[in-house]
Amino acid sequence: MEELVIDTKNLQKRYVTDTVETTALAGVDLKIAKGEFVAIMGPSGCGKSTLLNILGMLDSPSDGTFKFLGHDISRATERQRAKLRKENLGFVFQSFNLIDELTVEENIALPLAYLGVSKADTTKRVQEAMERMGIAHRRSHFPQQLSGGQQQRVAIARATVSNPALILADEPTGNLDSVHGREVMTLLSELNDAGTTVVMVTHSPSDAEYAHRIVNLFDGQIVTENVNVKRHAAELL
Amino acid sequence: MLKNYLLIFWRNMTRNKVYAAINITGLAIGIASCILIYLYVQHELSYDKYFTKHDRIYRVVNNLIVEDEVEKASVTHAALAPGLAADFPEIETALRMINRNKQVLRLDEKAITIEHAFWADSNYFEVFDYKLLEGDPKAVLQEPNTMALSKDVAAKFFDDPMKAMYSTFRIGSQSYKVTGIFEPVDAAHMKPNVLTSMSTLPAEVRQNFKSNWFGTNSYTYVLLSDSKAAAGLQAKLPDFVKKRISPARGNTTERVELHLQALTDIHLNTDYLWEAFPVGKKSYIYIFSFVGIFILLIASINYMNLATARSVKRAKEVGLRKVVGADRSQLILQFLSESILLTVFSVFVALLLVELMLPTFNSLSDKNIASNYFLEPIFAASILGIALLIGLISGSYPALVLSHFKPADVLKGSTTPNSGSAVLRKGLVVLQFTISLVLIIGTIIVYSQMHYLKSQDLGFTKEQVLVVDIPSGDTTIVNQMPVIKEQLLKNPKITEATTTVMIPGETTGVIIFDVERNGTMAEKTMNTIFVDYEFLDLMDINLKAGRNFSKEIATDQENGFILNEAAANVLGWADPIGKRIGFSDTTAGRVVGVVKDFNYTSLHSPIEPLVIMLAPQNNGYLMARVSPNGITEAMDHMQETWSKFAPSHPMDYFFLDESFNKQYRAEEKMLTIFGYFSLLTIIIACMGLFGLASFTAEQRTREIGIRKVLGSSVSGIVMLLTKDFALLVMVAIVLASPIAWYGMQQWLQDFAYRTPISAWVFVASGLVALCLAIVTVSFKAARAAMTDPVKALRTE
Repeated sequence: MEELVIDTKNLQKRYVTDTVETTALAGVDLKIAKGEFVAIMGPSGCGKSTLLNILGMLDSPSDGTFKFLGHDISRATERQRAKLRKENLGFVFQSFNLIDELTVEENIALPLAYLGVSKADTTKRVQEAMERMGIAHRRSHFPQQLSGGQQQRVAIARATVSNPALILADEPTGNLDSVHGREVMTLLSELNDAGTTVVMVTHSPSDAEYAHRIVNLFDGQIVTENVNVKRHAAELL
Repeated sequence: MLKNYLLIFWRNMTRNKVYAAINITGLAIGIASCILIYLYVQHELSYDKYFTKHDRIYRVVNNLIVEDEVEKASVTHAALAPGLAADFPEIETALRMINRNKQVLRLDEKAITIEHAFWADSNYFEVFDYKLLEGDPKAVLQEPNTMALSKDVAAKFFDDPMKAMYSTFRIGSQSYKVTGIFEPVDAAHMKPNVLTSMSTLPAEVRQNFKSNWFGTNSYTYVLLSDSKAAAGLQAKLPDFVKKRISPARGNTTERVELHLQALTDIHLNTDYLWEAFPVGKKSYIYIFSFVGIFILLIASINYMNLATARSVKRAKEVGLRKVVGADRSQLILQFLSESILLTVFSVFVALLLVELMLPTFNSLSDKNIASNYFLEPIFAASILGIALLIGLISGSYPALVLSHFKPADVLKGSTTPNSGSAVLRKGLVVLQFTISLVLIIGTIIVYSQMHYLKSQDLGFTKEQVLVVDIPSGDTTIVNQMPVIKEQLLKNPKITEATTTVMIPGETTGVIIFDVERNGTMAEKTMNTIFVDYEFLDLMDINLKAGRNFSKEIATDQENGFILNEAAANVLGWADPIGKRIGFSDTTAGRVVGVVKDFNYTSLHSPIEPLVIMLAPQNNGYLMARVSPNGITEAMDHMQETWSKFAPSHPMDYFFLDESFNKQYRAEEKMLTIFGYFSLLTIIIACMGLFGLASFTAEQRTREIGIRKVLGSSVSGIVMLLTKDFALLVMVAIVLASPIAWYGMQQWLQDFAYRTPISAWVFVASGLVALCLAIVTVSFKAARAAMTDPVKALRTE
């Protein structure tokens, strides 16, 4: 059997406020294998982002089990999760989320700093990541000096600089025009081709086209799971 | 990683200059104030520790007890030091200092009045090991007609002070050869400028000193062989009194008690009369220390409040760092290192400020603190420790709040995270303003008490009275006083002239009188002043009964006594005129008049019984009342007259009201320092408020936009933003008022005459703080309110 990066059973998430209880996830069973590119789709409020946050260990489920690379996450401590996260995960956000006070180069280097990578190694890897994303000439710019597309490429460089097993992307093209959007999607699928597992939340059917599999979420539950024939076909060609 | 933190810190600071400025200025002012106060306290606590034998040096003081009244005197009998040294082997050596006050020092044609001259025994420099720049400590005051000068005095006569060595100065008719020049010590309870050898005194005087157990004139110090011997020696002193003093004093109801006072205790722990120099007050040390801590606290609160309020802006960074793998402890470390960096940076600014403020502070506090305090390792270590501590304390709360953010919440960007407890922040603002208000109210009350004291009707008119110090020991001048007075009155601008032994504001003499009580004579100790015929008239002191001294009635010189009302009351005399009063050896003394009570000492104490005696031939000061419109003319005339009759003495003069008000110098000093510090606290607190208001306005940009779109006016929005802060200040007023009231009530206990604490003080201080707060906040609020709503709504 192929290795599972993500394996959830009956994943639930409820938000309780003083008066109401909202169910964001109502029992999600999801298996994602190594090397897969999965798109999660669905209308606003269906629980996509909640699911992604739980998968990214930024949030914890109210119920159900979640295994990440075989580790049972529901029982992990905050510190253990932080460790798994920095060693295995890369995040790409809709709003880029670069640190304004750091330059392109410093933003990309940040995950390596928390991994304790040596200075020489960091320089080399950041350089590679910047070159891969075509932003090396912007290395000492601050985020606000870059276009949206460039910022997202910096974000992807940052997400991939530590060679994570899994990249989680939350509407990565949401704030971009179509040209830059396509650019970003191409980058993501190239990364996937190179072996990185990608899970992406998106509203855009055209972005979803890049995935192997499309999971449709509705009211906190998976309603359909489609294999993207086009992508498979393209790969087979 | 540390480099990364530094980078972020630096860029945050440079990009948020207002925020950085508020924090750094506030903290720097706070730390600088603290350093100044620390130096002040340190200086106060270091008194007399300069002397290497300080732990073995004790001063002997005495209580004179008559009936139930105790007079605690720092001066003792001249016979005490040799007596103690002879009787107790644990005393290595004992010495006396006798105050010569002000003296005119002459070298050839140069004459300069020098304060704080003392007679001293020859072992002086062996006990008090000043740094002798010239001379041998064992030999300095050995020979008759020798003297030691402080370097500063020597410098008044010679460009190179060392040249003063071996030159011969004159004081009055005596000559003195300089046998030592010493470096003066600032933090010492005795700061002599000139020391003349005791052996210079005439043989009969010295002989009298050996056996006179009545008059007290000497400060007595003993050097013990072992600092632990003090308690044992103290226990033996009553026996010494019984054996040596009481028999010599004969039959008197007055008892003498001797006490040892550790040298280092004298400056702060003394309540003895006749100190040669002003002493410190322990309570002021506590007050200042508290003020220092408070200022620092207010500045630290600014940091806490601004950092947490600003946390919204850094939420994204926190979320991101967590996403890429930072755990909470790493984030806490990051934010703590930021606050520590900020404080360390502020410390450097503070040290700069201290350097700038030190001269002003020295003159305010009457100190002479040099700026070499940096070099002391203890200072450097404690300043570093304090920086760390402030950094940790003020950084811990923001660090906890910031590191707590959930990345899932903050990275979406749509919701603003909870930037820490707003309640706590409000509480801290209230605390800041409470402290500031307590200090402001305190300052106002101290000020109004000072004003009250100065404007109080003293029972005499202290204004327009010129006082000239009559050089003691020069009998030719003293004998000419009646002529001088006559001469002075020739100028119409001088309306009255008199001589007196003491002027109001000085400590009076204390004498045991024999008074008539229920038909027999009884002993009664009362304060006494010796004056001239014109004294009461010149001072505008009113008679209540009887008459003033009269030149026509010869018996007044010996047997006339004037009492104040308090004395008449204490003696229980309904009709005091003609009552018998005097000394044990005379019987003819009678009360000739009673004057209305007047405040002859400071208003710290109530008016005590006073006996006024006539002694026209015995005087210390020449007083002249001058008309308000002719001060210059009167002074010229006085100077002229003085030069004619006392050509060899420079005229040393002052105004009575000035010298009288000197008694409140300690309070005045405190008022000024207190005033400055309370000003600083309110400024720092307002700076913090300004910062907070900025962030609130920023945070509520959307809300302001929506309100404007819906039709709110600019003033409505300013009101909306200001209201909350104004409320906090009002809470602070409510909290501060009772605290300040209680504290100041305690402080006022030091005075017999107290200004009533009126409600307007609290109202006025509150209004000032409120206005400052409103101006500060509304400035920011108005800017927020005037932004284009479209722009405001676009900010996401």
